[in-house]
Amino acid sequence: MKRARIAHEGRALWVEVAEDGEVLRLPDGGSVKAADAVWLPPVTPGATIFALGLNYADHNKELGFQSKEPPLVFLKGPNTLSGHNGTTLRPTDANQMHPECELVAVIGKPARSVSVVRALDHVSGYTIACDYAVREYLENYYRPNARVKNRDGATPLGPWVVDAADIADPQALALRTTVNGKTVQDGSTADMVMSVAELISYLSATMTLMPGDLILTGTPQGVHYCEAGDRVVCEIEGIGRLSNTLVGDKAA
Amino acid sequence: MLAGTVYGVVLNDRDERAGLAGAFAVSPYKAPPESPVVYIKPRNCFARSGAEVFIGDEDVEIAATLGLLIGRDAARTAAEDALAHVAGVCLALDVTVPHESYYRPVVPLRCRDGFLPLGDFAAFAPSILTTEIVTTVDGNSVHRWAPTRLVRDAATLIADLSAFMTLAAGDVLLIGLPYDAPCVRAGQSVTVTSGSLPTLKAQFNAGDAR
Repeated sequence: MKRARIAHEGRALWVEVAEDGEVLRLPDGGSVKAADAVWLPPVTPGATIFALGLNYADHNKELGFQSKEPPLVFLKGPNTLSGHNGTTLRPTDANQMHPECELVAVIGKPARSVSVVRALDHVSGYTIACDYAVREYLENYYRPNARVKNRDGATPLGPWVVDAADIADPQALALRTTVNGKTVQDGSTADMVMSVAELISYLSATMTLMPGDLILTGTPQGVHYCEAGDRVVCEIEGIGRLSNTLVGDKAA
Repeated sequence: MLAGTVYGVVLNDRDERAGLAGAFAVSPYKAPPESPVVYIKPRNCFARSGAEVFIGDEDVEIAATLGLLIGRDAARTAAEDALAHVAGVCLALDVTVPHESYYRPVVPLRCRDGFLPLGDFAAFAPSILTTEIVTTVDGNSVHRWAPTRLVRDAATLIADLSAFMTLAAGDVLLIGLPYDAPCVRAGQSVTVTSGSLPTLKAQFNAGDAR
C-alpha cells in the first residue's frame, strides 16, 4: 500500500494510491486522478526530521572523508519540505547546488533503546527525499550548517509512503537521480555505512523516536551542480519517483 | 506541548566569541562563523516547568535563555520589522551533555529526552531582552546573564535566519546560550527567573526517563 498526502478542495488529505498508480482514493470514498493531484510532503505535523551525512562509503570517498564514527546526525525543520512535482528555489549565487537522493524511513511506533534486530519493527514505511545542498554556504560550525541544509522548500519529499511490509529489504534498493533525464547518481542502499536498523537503534539510545518521525539516511556518490530550470528526479526501487524543478530566485 | 519547531543558536554570546577567536582561525573551523549557528531541539526534548530531567552519572550543562514564540511567519523579514513577528516569550533551560567542539552537530548530546524544560509563555514585551536571567541551583544563585550580551540581538537573529528559513507561527526561537552556563548533577533542583516571566523549575534525577 502507498499513502500520499494531497491538497484537495481546500483540505490536506491522506489518500491511498491505487495499484496502477493512476488513481488516488479519498477517505470519503471518492477518487482523483494522480495526474491532477496537488502533492504535499507525506509527513505528520510535529515530526522530528533526522538526516544523516556521510552515510555512504562511495560518497565519502568522493568528498574525501573517512567514514565517521559516531555517525553524523543533524535535524531539519518542516520548513524544508516540499511535495512531489513542486519547485525549489535556487539562489542566484548557488553555483554549487546539488541534489541528494535519500531513502527515508518513517517511524511507525515509539522506539526507545531498541536493538538493531528489532529496529525495523518500528518502521511503518519508506519514502524518498531529494535533499538539496548548497556547497558555497558550507561553514565549519555544526556542519552541514542550516544555511546549507535547512532552507525553505529545499527538501522535496514523496511522492508517497510505501508500507514497510512491501519493502523486503531496505538495504537492497537501487537509488538514482536524473537531471533533465541524465543520470547523475546511481547507487544502492547496500552501500550505507549504517543501515536503517542500526540508525534507529543508535538514535533510540538517547532519544525516543515517535510515530511520524523521519530518518533521511544519506546519499550515495554523484555530486552534480544544477541550474535554474533543471528537472530533478530522484528514484528508489520499489518506492517510486520524486520529481522537482529548480527555479531561479526572483528576489536575488 | 508545542505545535512548532524549536530552533536555537550557539556562538551568539559576545564574551564567548572573544574567547574563541584564536580557535576559530585554525582547523577544523579555519574562519569565524558568518551565518547563525543553528540547532533544533526536537519534540522528545520538550518538558514543562517542574518536570524531572533524568540524567546519568555525569554532570550536564544547563543554559538558561529566552524562547521567543513566533506569532506570524517571518520570511525574509527585515530586522526593524522582526519583533512584530514575536507574540510570546518563555524561559527555557537548554540542557546538554558538555562538549567542546562546534564542528559537527551534537544531536545525541543536546537532544535527549526531557532536555528542554520550558516555562509558561507570557506576552512578549521588548524590555525582557535587556532583563537579567538568573539561574538558581538548590537555592543558591549560580549564574546571571542578560541577552544584551548577544552578538546578534533577537531582531537581527530573526532577520538573518528568515533570509533562508521561515520562522513559522508556533515556532520557538532560543536566542542564544551563555558560554559560562553552570553544570548540575543528579539530585539538584534548578530555578530560572527573569523579570516578571513565569518561573521555570526543573528537577534533575538519576536514571532513565523511560
